[in-house]
Amino acid sequence: MIVEQENSYVLFPMGERRFALPAERVKELARPDHPQTFPHRTPLLTGVLVRRGKIVPVWDVAQLLVGPEAPPRKFYLIASRTVESHMEWTAIPVTGECELASLEPAQPESGQPAYISGVLTAGKENVAIVDLEKLLGAEVREQK
Amino acid sequence: MREQPPRPRPGVHEGVILFSVGGFKFAIAAGAVNEIRGMEGLQDFTLRGISARVEKLRHTLERSGTTYFVVDAARHFHLSQSAPTRVLILRNSLAAVLVDSTDRMMDIFTLHALPRAFTGDERVWYRGLAVVNGEVVPVVNAGAFLSKAEQELLRDGLERVRGLAAV
Repeated sequence: MIVEQENSYVLFPMGERRFALPAERVKELARPDHPQTFPHRTPLLTGVLVRRGKIVPVWDVAQLLVGPEAPPRKFYLIASRTVESHMEWTAIPVTGECELASLEPAQPESGQPAYISGVLTAGKENVAIVDLEKLLGAEVREQK
Repeated sequence: MREQPPRPRPGVHEGVILFSVGGFKFAIAAGAVNEIRGMEGLQDFTLRGISARVEKLRHTLERSGTTYFVVDAARHFHLSQSAPTRVLILRNSLAAVLVDSTDRMMDIFTLHALPRAFTGDERVWYRGLAVVNGEVVPVVNAGAFLSKAEQELLRDGLERVRGLAAV
């Protein structure tokens, strides 16, 4: 995916809502695939995918973002995330097709979770911008 | 930042033994295993005050004058189901490992680092991940089944019990 514009975001559906990631963080939207699993003790990680020779951890964040009623996930949004100062790919299962949009971000309303770093207005829809580091880092620490 | 997937390096490979526990496949360095055998000769292990501290330990095995402490791999990996049939006796260790089955020996050419997203006990359990015929297989850290401190604790406990029995 080639993105040249600032304020470009990938909007991804999670059930009836949509969320956004900065486009420069998104590597690809991968076709449906079964994640491979092995025993581990890290919350929220559901397995790994093998993409382009890399082993990519799969974080199922649907329950965090929209709760337990999230519909089945159909695709994997593969994004980069900083872990301990290292860039690492992360696969996020999403529930439908994604959209690339150039939109002006605004500050989130007060009281939003810390992992919401901003909000985009797409027509009548408000789309929350997700900070992956805060979303996953905080949740993992809380569940340990 | 340009990210390059790890590439196999010609001539760099490691022999591993594939084994299964609770429906999951694992690999262990062939050099870390001294012997693979059946479950005959296993003795129940109970050592008051110590058994509870090393809960994954269920048996001992006497072999050539040495007492091996047999770790239940399913308990080690927190798996609820298993059907153990084989014992891996580890080299340079007092530990042996109870597994469901052993598959085959093979060479792996690339050991992928465990992604940093994994932050739990698996960082100790595994040396890394291998891709075997498209399947991701964790390569276990043989030393993690029973730490040196746990081995010493068990050996001391066993010697104490034997000393009492001899009196």
